[in-house]
Amino acid sequence: MLEISNLKARTGDTDILHGLSLSVNEGEVHAIMGPNGSGKSTLAQVVAGNDAYEVTDGTVLFKGNNLLDLEPEERAREGIFLGFQYPVEIPGVNNAYLLKAAVNARRAHQGLEEIDAFEFLKLAREKMAMLGMDQKFLNRGVNEGFSGGEKKRNEILQMAMLEPSLAILDETDSGLDIDALKAVAEGVNALRHPERAVILVTHYQRMLDYVEPDFVHVLSEGQIVRSGDKSLALELEEKGYEWVREAASA
Amino acid sequence: MSVVELSPDALKSAVAELAGTGPTESRQLALQQFLQRGFPTFHDEDWKYTDLTNVIDISERWLAHAPDAAIEDVDETAIREIQSSIDASWLVFSNGRLNQDLSDAFGDDAIVVAPINDDDELVVEDPLADLSVALMLDGISIRLDESKRVEKPIGLLFADRATLAPQVSQARINIRLDAGSAARVIEYHASSGDADHYSNVHIDVDIGDGANLDYVRLQNRDRGHCQTQRLNVRLNEVSKIRHLGVDLGGALARNDLKIDIAGAGASAEFNGLYVGADKQHIDNHTRVDHRIGPAKSTQEYRGIMSGRSRCVWNGKAIVHAGADGSDAEQANHNLLLSEHSEINAKPELEIYADEVKCCHGTTVGQLDEAALFYLRTRGLDPRDAKRVLTRAFTTRVIEKSPIPELRELLSAQVEQRLSEIGSGD
Repeated sequence: MLEISNLKARTGDTDILHGLSLSVNEGEVHAIMGPNGSGKSTLAQVVAGNDAYEVTDGTVLFKGNNLLDLEPEERAREGIFLGFQYPVEIPGVNNAYLLKAAVNARRAHQGLEEIDAFEFLKLAREKMAMLGMDQKFLNRGVNEGFSGGEKKRNEILQMAMLEPSLAILDETDSGLDIDALKAVAEGVNALRHPERAVILVTHYQRMLDYVEPDFVHVLSEGQIVRSGDKSLALELEEKGYEWVREAASA
Repeated sequence: MSVVELSPDALKSAVAELAGTGPTESRQLALQQFLQRGFPTFHDEDWKYTDLTNVIDISERWLAHAPDAAIEDVDETAIREIQSSIDASWLVFSNGRLNQDLSDAFGDDAIVVAPINDDDELVVEDPLADLSVALMLDGISIRLDESKRVEKPIGLLFADRATLAPQVSQARINIRLDAGSAARVIEYHASSGDADHYSNVHIDVDIGDGANLDYVRLQNRDRGHCQTQRLNVRLNEVSKIRHLGVDLGGALARNDLKIDIAGAGASAEFNGLYVGADKQHIDNHTRVDHRIGPAKSTQEYRGIMSGRSRCVWNGKAIVHAGADGSDAEQANHNLLLSEHSEINAKPELEIYADEVKCCHGTTVGQLDEAALFYLRTRGLDPRDAKRVLTRAFTTRVIEKSPIPELRELLSAQVEQRLSEIGSGD
């Protein structure tokens, strides 16, 4: 589904990704771990199409097509979802309005009619109940005055409504209390499907207790230096990132 | 730069034509004052950014062709359309003339509507106010008796037209709310026609002890027409005004809002929104005088500029000596959608009392890139994303409309205007 090879990217004068390769297939959950500054968020932003990052080399194919040719909104409509590490507050834009606009943009791309208002509300309420979100959030400004945990739940709500083929969750677990973490994990697990894939970008192993990954990759200085199964995450937790750096330079 | 002046003789003879109508003494006094001072120029601190040369030129040509409001047909269809979209007791003015047929505010016995006369305080320290008194055709005074509370808004509709020749309309209205009364006012400016038009409206409001006024001004004139407008408000003890001014049209629009806090416990909330495009020039000057405390004033004006438009926001708050317990807040936020648009934003606080709380904030910026990207990752194309963010910016002011049932109409007109100007690139 997603084929990244030798990806190099920079922002401003700083090179961040130094030839990263990653292959993600349908039905798989990949965890990408690594210390601060290793390039985890940059990878997420580049796949989503943030033009603050310049791709200097390499290719990214999504469902066989060149992803780098597409605008951010085209990537979204093709089924890529980015859950932001820091979701943006947009005062004055109603949360329900954005959800509906997002769902309809995707549907229009798929040649479907706009979602029926009743159907939309029913679906939104269902997903919010799953995530333990109060329905009043629908009528508030997007992320406006939301706590850290509420913002992350809101990202997962958008994901749940959009049912993307590929969800990239950028440190969605950071700053969450245990209840919020469980709710977010439940949202991710509910999305698991033989035709969908998830990339969890995370700093800690904690989230992986609730969402079991098929693969774990360790990122260091803009490259994947180690890949393995979920036991790699536990090993990392035990030995720390220094161990990976040493292993990489050895 | 030479200062264009109105020919005194032409002005005198136009005023002479009006002899016997309206308040004679005030008219003469206003004429004399105006002849001495003339139109404001860029030499006046308050008129640094707004050039009235074109307004003077229109007035001059209007005076030359024998000013007669009646030569234009009233745009009845447009007026009826506005009236059907807003439930109000209407006073309709066309080119300065009160249209009795289209006005229905007289039927409401809670509101006393009468022709203005020399007993009304008409002459104030302002040349444009003088001009309105000197040349007005149908000055009106509106009064609410003590403790009368009128739910249905009073609609002041200025619907002007200039198709054949340059037109000028002058209007003067005094509103008095007696103690404990409450009213709602909608001041609506519209105009049409390809010929030049200049409208000058002066409204004086006196809000009695414990009285309450909710006020919305909407200006959506033809993009070729000019307007100067002033609202002077006097607030007495524990009285209250909530005001929203929206400017969408006009080639040149200048609004002055002056609030005089003369009674303890009074409060004033006034907000504004202006959308400028092409070569529009929209100038909002506000001034609040805290003469006594405790009292509170808050204002938030927001503006969107595209094309080569130029807007001005000048918010002055003066806390006079002894006005302890005054609380004055002002904010002005601007969104520049094009490189060539311009905003001149100036907050001014003058504080001569000790126990006061004053703050101001002004921002000028473009649409938030992070928010744009966020919306695009949710599938919105850049055009829609910009539209959504721009609308969010304006919604923050519209939702402060003190007349809630107008919000939908205001939103629709703002939306219409924003779609006409596009995203500005």
